[in-house]
Amino acid sequence: MHFEGTQQINAPIQSVFDFLLDANKVAGCAPGFISMDILGPDHFKPTLGVGIGAVKAKFTLDVHLQNVRAPDHGEVTAHGVAAGSAVDLTAVVDLVPVAAAETTFNWFADVTVSGTIASVGARLLESTAHKQIAKFFACFKQKLEAPVSEAPAAEAASSDASPPETPKA
Amino acid sequence: MTTEAPVTIGGMGHSVKRKEDARFLRGKGHYIDDIKLPGMLYMDIVRSPYAHARIRSIDASKALELPGVLAVITGKDLDAAGLAWMPTLMSDKQMVLPVDRVVYQAQEVAAVIATERYIAADAITLVDVDYEPLPPVIDPFKALEPDAPLVREDREAKTNHIWHWEAGDETRTDEIFQNADVVVKQDLYIPRIHVCSIETCGCVASFDKVEGKLTVYMTTQAPHAIRTVFSLVSGLPEHKIRIVSPDIGGGFGGKVPVYPGYVIASVASIQTGLPIKWIEDRSENLQADSFARDYHISAELAAKSDGTMQALRVKTLADHGAFDAAANPSKFPAGLFSVITGSYQLDAAHVEVDGVYTNKPSGGVAYRCSFRVTEAVHTIERMVDTLAQKLQMDPADLRMKNFIPPEAFPYKSATGWEYDSGNYPAALQKAMAKIDYAGLRREQAEKRARGELMGIGISTFTEIVGAGPSHTFDILGIKMFDSCEIRVHPTGSAIVRIGVQTQGQGHETTFAQIVAEELGLPVENITVEHGDTDTAPYGLGTYASRSTPTAGAATAVAARKIRDKAKKIAAHLLEASPDDLEWVDYKFQVKGAPGRSVTMKDIAFAAYTNFPPDIEAGLEAVDYYDPPNLTFPFGAYICVVDIDRGTGMVKIRRFVAVDDCGNIINPMIVDGQIHGGLTMGMAPALFEAITYDENGNIQQSNLMDYLLPTAMETPVWETDKTVTPSPHHPFGAKGVGESATVGAPPAIANAVVDALSHLGVTHIDIPITPWKVYQILEEHGATEG
Repeated sequence: MHFEGTQQINAPIQSVFDFLLDANKVAGCAPGFISMDILGPDHFKPTLGVGIGAVKAKFTLDVHLQNVRAPDHGEVTAHGVAAGSAVDLTAVVDLVPVAAAETTFNWFADVTVSGTIASVGARLLESTAHKQIAKFFACFKQKLEAPVSEAPAAEAASSDASPPETPKA
Repeated sequence: MTTEAPVTIGGMGHSVKRKEDARFLRGKGHYIDDIKLPGMLYMDIVRSPYAHARIRSIDASKALELPGVLAVITGKDLDAAGLAWMPTLMSDKQMVLPVDRVVYQAQEVAAVIATERYIAADAITLVDVDYEPLPPVIDPFKALEPDAPLVREDREAKTNHIWHWEAGDETRTDEIFQNADVVVKQDLYIPRIHVCSIETCGCVASFDKVEGKLTVYMTTQAPHAIRTVFSLVSGLPEHKIRIVSPDIGGGFGGKVPVYPGYVIASVASIQTGLPIKWIEDRSENLQADSFARDYHISAELAAKSDGTMQALRVKTLADHGAFDAAANPSKFPAGLFSVITGSYQLDAAHVEVDGVYTNKPSGGVAYRCSFRVTEAVHTIERMVDTLAQKLQMDPADLRMKNFIPPEAFPYKSATGWEYDSGNYPAALQKAMAKIDYAGLRREQAEKRARGELMGIGISTFTEIVGAGPSHTFDILGIKMFDSCEIRVHPTGSAIVRIGVQTQGQGHETTFAQIVAEELGLPVENITVEHGDTDTAPYGLGTYASRSTPTAGAATAVAARKIRDKAKKIAAHLLEASPDDLEWVDYKFQVKGAPGRSVTMKDIAFAAYTNFPPDIEAGLEAVDYYDPPNLTFPFGAYICVVDIDRGTGMVKIRRFVAVDDCGNIINPMIVDGQIHGGLTMGMAPALFEAITYDENGNIQQSNLMDYLLPTAMETPVWETDKTVTPSPHHPFGAKGVGESATVGAPPAIANAVVDALSHLGVTHIDIPITPWKVYQILEEHGATEG
């Protein structure tokens, strides 16, 4: 599956970039986030609970940051296996400053889901992914654009707030 | 065999109620999962999420920390014992557990042994397998491209091509095509489907360390062949292996192969000395067990302009998945696909099949079908309709014109089969009369004028079953005879042990009826046993509609051996010469003196109490029957469909099935076989298909996505019969287990195409789903609403 999208973030490019490099902050916005091992500045192992239709699985992702170029570019590869399922992901982010406190966030991701989740949840996979992406950016924007009101991550992640732009697959 | 047996005997031709139903209807059937042995452990299997990947490592430490988990078995463990691979029944080999590489999604990767089923299920989620994904090849056409990923690195031949097989006369066929008035060509895809029996696969393996004997209770259709394979693979002497196949909740070919779970459980039991139970869940069964069909066919039919069919040319790509694990006879990698000339006289035919590996589970199961006959019948029956459409002839007329005439039997087909007997025009005439074919065509014309979509489809199929003669048929070198052993007890009851294995066919009743007919003993006094290799005579098992043609014949012959001996005892009792006795009304009587007679019950008692000095005591016999030929059941099916222009939904309004399976043992059971078979034939025609995405993820891994027909989808089947006995079978039977599954799909497909033919539609691949039909209607501007 290929996903891509553009978000307008009301924050300076450096703030957005710093946020992206902070694994704890990013993981805190990931829907279903449970815990994380930080193995190095560019190597993390977050554990996420994922539910698609009737299938629930707990993935531990092996995440690597690559080709990071401050303040506007970064790439991520992630690989995770749960019982009978696996996910492989590559994502690329490019930031473009629009104004002193406004940044355009361009991204795309290629995701391969294998096994039970892909089989049982095939018809729900894409729509579920869109929902999760929307939740992620809602949290992301909330934290960046209103840094004073430090909302707990879990609460923000479960928010149903929609982003201004919907990512397109 | 023509004598009508009194009801008290219940021999041939009687609708005796199924003896086995007494336990099934009371919930007293005894299936694998009902078996509970002292100290039994449970096994669950870690499966691959990837269709193709390298295994970097397997870390079982977290699973082993879970209380109740006793062991985690990997491919490396089995490899150390030389058991990481096993032979398939098709002279290929198959991974039991992979050492370093998986080749299809849901492939077995490791097994957990635990004290409880739920602990085992929890533990498989804790086995950490590090995979390196590799590109899979899912499309068999792409698998043959030079740069395609290699599915089987273990093979010497570095190609995904498995084998090439052909039958018929290529030169003669090509000559006819060059000079033909008319040639029709059609590509057909017979999709991958799953047998999806109610009971999934499983086993309880129990190794007795004191006796050194392995007993495996197993869902298998072929226990004896499995025992031999187990002995060859494990090195255990064959007398130290006992395979027991108890009640089986449907087999349909899917329980012929050996699955890795059986082997792993057996290894675990040998290691621990404790019984190990393994039962698949539904999704495992749908994802990983062997599949059927998956044939990509390109067919051409040559004919004269008057409709005389002359030659057939067929090229096929057979998708076998990652292992060629089909249970075809050794010399027939494409099964009996060359029966593809069907019920028709053709001057020549040439058939080619190429087997291909892909990153999918093993294919090639003979799903209620005698080794690729469903694919063959669908092809020829669609091609006949395609020709009829091209020539604007009525498909019934075209069939009548080209049938092998009744007087031509035994008939040598263009691909070399010798058909034993047949009367195809009689079956079609009967079906046409029963359904009022002429009236239906009038109704169709009227409806078409009103814009309504109604279609009439015919299938006049010929089956080929009863494998088979030992000179031609074997599985892994074991000849495909079958067997029966009969012991008549002193009081006139009997036990019959057979080499075949019932999975719902009603053997406990029909085989008792064969003996009842031959010996004149009441059917209720005859017990039939099967499925236990320690007690039953060796046989090749039940599949491919072979039980009645082979073991049924063995039963009749064994009973006749008993009757021969009984005649001598009768002569002793009647103080007459055996030559002066005749077998009349189920007893021996002195010719011309009906009052002087003895029954088999009298003789049985004498066989143990008062036998002549030159005859040994007892009354028993065994027969290993090697059939001289296959049998060729046939039938004429006519289907009427109505199509909803608003939804594309196909509704089967009527379906008349006239079957000819030769002489019938139990009409009620035959009717049941046909009803079930028609429903299982309708399923792939309208609903069922297993598909994969580009990464090799199965898209129908559960019964939400894989639509099995229920009573809601099933129409009222109208059945009838003609009777054309097999001339070479001891009691003229041919077998019926598969006719309906084989014959139904083309009747339905032909009906749908017929309903849409005036729009220019010439073919639709099965399954003909509402979505597919609606798309066609849209293309032709024929939707409504």
